[in-house]
Amino acid sequence: MDFLQNLLPHLLNGLALGLLFALIALGFTLIVSVMEVINLAHGSFFALGAYVAMVIINPGLAGGGGLGDAYMTLPLGARYVIALVLAPLLIAVIGFGLELLLRRTYGKKKEYGLLLTFGAALVLEETIRLIWGPAEQIMPTPPAISGAFIAGDMIYSIYRVYAMLAGAFAIFMVWLFLEKTPYGAIIKAGAHDSEMVRALGINLPRLQMLVFGLGAALAALAGIILTPIWGLRPHVGVDATIPAFLIIVLGGIGSFRGAVLGGILVGLAVGLTGAYASDWSLLSMYLLLIAVLTFRGRGLFGKKTALEA
Amino acid sequence: MLTSQNGAAIVTQPMLVFFLLLFTYPLWADAVGLYNYLGVEIAIFVLYALGYNLLFGYAGLPSFGHGAFLGVGAYSYGLWQLGAYPHVFAGLLVAVLSAAAAAAGVVALFLSHRRGIYFALMTIAFGQIFWFLAIRLRWLTGGEDGMLNILRPKLDLGIATLNLSSNAVLHYLIAVILAAVILILWRIVHSPFGTALQAIRMNEMRARFAGYRVWLIKWTVFTLSGAIAGLAGAFLAMTQESAYPDVMSLHASGFVVMMTLIGGGFVSFWGPVVGAIVFILARDVLGAATETWLLWYGLLFMAVMVVEPEGVVGVWRRIEARIKRPASTPEQAKREVVL
Repeated sequence: MDFLQNLLPHLLNGLALGLLFALIALGFTLIVSVMEVINLAHGSFFALGAYVAMVIINPGLAGGGGLGDAYMTLPLGARYVIALVLAPLLIAVIGFGLELLLRRTYGKKKEYGLLLTFGAALVLEETIRLIWGPAEQIMPTPPAISGAFIAGDMIYSIYRVYAMLAGAFAIFMVWLFLEKTPYGAIIKAGAHDSEMVRALGINLPRLQMLVFGLGAALAALAGIILTPIWGLRPHVGVDATIPAFLIIVLGGIGSFRGAVLGGILVGLAVGLTGAYASDWSLLSMYLLLIAVLTFRGRGLFGKKTALEA
Repeated sequence: MLTSQNGAAIVTQPMLVFFLLLFTYPLWADAVGLYNYLGVEIAIFVLYALGYNLLFGYAGLPSFGHGAFLGVGAYSYGLWQLGAYPHVFAGLLVAVLSAAAAAAGVVALFLSHRRGIYFALMTIAFGQIFWFLAIRLRWLTGGEDGMLNILRPKLDLGIATLNLSSNAVLHYLIAVILAAVILILWRIVHSPFGTALQAIRMNEMRARFAGYRVWLIKWTVFTLSGAIAGLAGAFLAMTQESAYPDVMSLHASGFVVMMTLIGGGFVSFWGPVVGAIVFILARDVLGAATETWLLWYGLLFMAVMVVEPEGVVGVWRRIEARIKRPASTPEQAKREVVL
């Protein structure tokens, strides 16, 4: 019993981490499926989203008079909610811009698109460093979701519960969007056969742009929720990208279930090993990946697709 | 020109020009404002990028974790010099063998049956594993502080003893080996094996149906490319007199892809050479001018990808084609296909 009780917080940590990993991976897999591009700038969207949210929450407008003062008198919670909505939208706009450039590489070698996003990742990370400096920043969180609570013998952070719920809710919304709306149907069709979608008279370039923006926004959202736990530094994007890659391969490219389940598995692996050997916890996800791929070459739910050609 | 059986030249004009520049570099470097250490660095990265392009440009297999093998080479060279039997050639051999072993025994085993995006993503995953191990195995590698004090030993050649602590002497040692590797690589890409590599790049499925054992060829080329990266890593450790995990990070692994592509690795054997030279020089020039050179570098790179993804050599080819218009004689068309 004692053993289980000690394990429970680590399980919860792992679950919270896993759900947010899944959110990053979902955006990533959407982009891969529709545009066949490995977006190496995904982590930069994650980081940039968090930085932008930090500025929206605390723009330092106080004392400027007028509107700025009025905004700063809003409670922290309200400003946090505004940031939670506004920052991903802004990042989506940046995603639109990158997609416009990326468009030039469609139909050429796949590596060109990937390398363009690598360049973009360098630019975004350096821009972050230029604007906010290399030091670690603190992402403000409203008092309602800070602190800790006691359940039985266990003391647990409220924020992590919030992160878990927010992650699960966001994943659920993406699922609803993809499965229950006509837009979702078009996106899924576009992932399956984009030529056919275009032949049916759907504006494919616009669809691709929207999907790229959606993927970027999901990464930004995950960034806003995860960085109070991880800390906010320019390099945080890379820390988020790597698990996303692993999850996509682990779950199977282009699979919604794969991304969610893969995310949770990776999160749990990292969380549980973190309990016993925290220095080595990141290695567990690599080992998990190798273990899965040894037996299932295309990951858990991967199907044979054009992406392998 | 000297030619081999199947008609490809053993030594070509661009090769002679490059060798001439390479071997005379220490004589004119100071005069044009460069320095010997830079030449050594360029030679190392040319070696690294050429080996990488065998995999990337010829076989069309994008590896985004190639820094792993550079790192394995650097660390094993360092360990050998610090421990067992400090001798230059023995150390280089150990580095090449251990990088080849890491590539062949671990990574290529998993990768040789993978294609496209799975291949790319798995190279990232494996690259990260090696990088992570380099940081965490502190007792072995020195962790994030790096492995320090790898001294440059004296090299006794029987007739003379070379003092490698001079950058110029080191440059000649690396230049000789680089020249040898270039000759070997040139032969490889013009051998039946090289043709098979290009068949895989163009259509893997068709290559398999044509009777090639594709997985074995992929395994071999990955190992070969890893071994060359290991050699470059050993030279890097020798030059820096230390080895750091940085060279194994995702960013550093991305840089070799950048070098290869900026030069035009997909269209020419010499693409990675041009690319490595441009990359290192630009890093030096931009790095001296601004602290945020990576920002400008990223922008430059994005521009290359959007405007002319075939790189410097691609631009050169286009200019060349415009000068000698009615271009495509059958002979030329054939040459274009086989790089």
